[in-house]
Amino acid sequence: MGLLSQLKQKYKTLSIVGMAKNAGKTTALNYLIEEAMDDGVVLGITSTGRDGESCDLVTGTDKPRVFLDTGTIVSVPVKLYDLADAGLEILCMTNYSTALGQIMLCRVAESGYVQIAGPVNTNDQKIMCREMLAYGAEIILIDGAIDRKSIAAPDASDAIILSTGAVISRSIKKVVEETAHIVALYQLPELEDGNARDLILSKQEREKIMLIKGKQLELLDLKTGLTAGKFLDEAIDQETDYIYIPGALTNSVISDIHPAKMKQVQFILKDPTKIFIDAMHWQQLRKKGFTVKVLENITVAALTVNPHAPAGYSFEHEALLKAIRGAIDGIPVIDVKLGGEFSETI
Amino acid sequence: MSSHTTCAAAATTAVDLTKVKPYGDTMNDGMIQLSFTLPVPYGEEANEAAKILAKKMGLDEPAVVFSKDMVGFTYFVMYGKCQHTVDYTTIKVTKVEVDVMDRLECEKYIAENIKRDVVIVGACSGTDAHTVGIDAIMNMKGFHGHFGLERYHGIQAINMGSQVPNEVLIAKAIETNADAILVSQIVTQKDVHISNLTNLVELMEAEGIRDKVILVCGGPRISHEIAQELGYDAGFGAHTYAEDVASFVLTEIVKRKLI
Repeated sequence: MGLLSQLKQKYKTLSIVGMAKNAGKTTALNYLIEEAMDDGVVLGITSTGRDGESCDLVTGTDKPRVFLDTGTIVSVPVKLYDLADAGLEILCMTNYSTALGQIMLCRVAESGYVQIAGPVNTNDQKIMCREMLAYGAEIILIDGAIDRKSIAAPDASDAIILSTGAVISRSIKKVVEETAHIVALYQLPELEDGNARDLILSKQEREKIMLIKGKQLELLDLKTGLTAGKFLDEAIDQETDYIYIPGALTNSVISDIHPAKMKQVQFILKDPTKIFIDAMHWQQLRKKGFTVKVLENITVAALTVNPHAPAGYSFEHEALLKAIRGAIDGIPVIDVKLGGEFSETI
Repeated sequence: MSSHTTCAAAATTAVDLTKVKPYGDTMNDGMIQLSFTLPVPYGEEANEAAKILAKKMGLDEPAVVFSKDMVGFTYFVMYGKCQHTVDYTTIKVTKVEVDVMDRLECEKYIAENIKRDVVIVGACSGTDAHTVGIDAIMNMKGFHGHFGLERYHGIQAINMGSQVPNEVLIAKAIETNADAILVSQIVTQKDVHISNLTNLVELMEAEGIRDKVILVCGGPRISHEIAQELGYDAGFGAHTYAEDVASFVLTEIVKRKLI
């Protein structure tokens, strides 16, 4: 049984998230599309950016095109409709407008190449996926754009496929390090059921930073945590057990918090996509006793690796696969250019 | 090949838009002027090197019309005939589609449709220190006789200047309840503007304000098409003035019911 058929049993929507631009997201997408054709799975395909054009807008390098089989449900903006060489039956016009025109939902009537684009913001994306399922898609693949990781958010899809590859660095060690960092972040422990979780959930829609002291909940009158480190440092006192930050966690949020307070307080985030701290800083923070839990973490359903970088260099297929598999436990790793032997590894 | 085309070219004065060629003195002569420097000493050999290079670039009858000794280097001006053509009729460029209103029309549009002050925060973000772009759009005096957003009644324009970290820009937008964020990227190395621009979108998503704010980027290396791929609402390239940006932002506010 192929990877897709196994994923289909567990998930309805899968986001393909890239560690970097040109990490092989579209190649991974094509790989899964091919599996769907073999297994007769009806796919829904959409994108947070644009897909299927033959030339990269930024680097000018060749990009893989996307070939869709009959029956596939796909989101296509008006301006790219004419450029499709597949026969597309228009199912409906959505309300989502993009720089390339309104998005239409189409069913592929005659297989061929299609250029895909979808709503640019995550909320719209989510609603549209429901419509695609209603039109008969069995599983939806959302192709990410560039290195945008917000589509990995647990409320945007059931699970993600993380694409990584040589493009990240010329050193395999660095590729593995960065990839393992992201996987570790996505799998951060969830805040266990109990008093703290209940308190946070009860006020979550206020989108405020919260402090929990014993059974007390305190909402901070702060519009955002960004650049507010000093304020947070003052707000945290010796009784504070937890701090919940609804928005982004960046250096400017925490850099001014006293090390002793960092150690004492448990940080809670909505989900791992809120973290904007790189591998090195993260390790330094961990050493200082900084701990983070999330309300909801992210299921990484599979990892795809691409040993080729568009800049022209590449790694040995086996070497990269082995290094990534060695660093990451329990997640199937597939070389999208090589394909093949993933089934034993699941 | 060339003899055939030159014959045909000499006979015609009308443009064939499916086969456009550079124009020198006559239609379709393909004449091109180019200048460059080679790291070789000035002399006959240098001229020959330049000619060989031009030939490799696909230019017929390359001629060095000027060369100058740059001490160890040689600077050239060359002419040559381009053999390639472009089918102008098939070119499609995605542009921001909006009916551009001038300043007074924008002010009237705000008064009639939005009925409150519109807040626009702008910055030249990341490592970029070149404020020329954001200033041209926002500064009161504007650029080329087109007044900037600061001059518009009904627009509260906040120009944060250069090298503004994305986090600071977003914090400001949240603090001021901004309707739109304008980001300018002028000079960046190794496509760092791309990762900087996506980082801004990602931070906005994380802060939960992406669908509440109109996000626009601009700069000489920005096109509307790239903007879409990066997750922006619009991208403006060179030759954009305040009224182009204002018209887009204002109509988008009304269209998306962010009034």
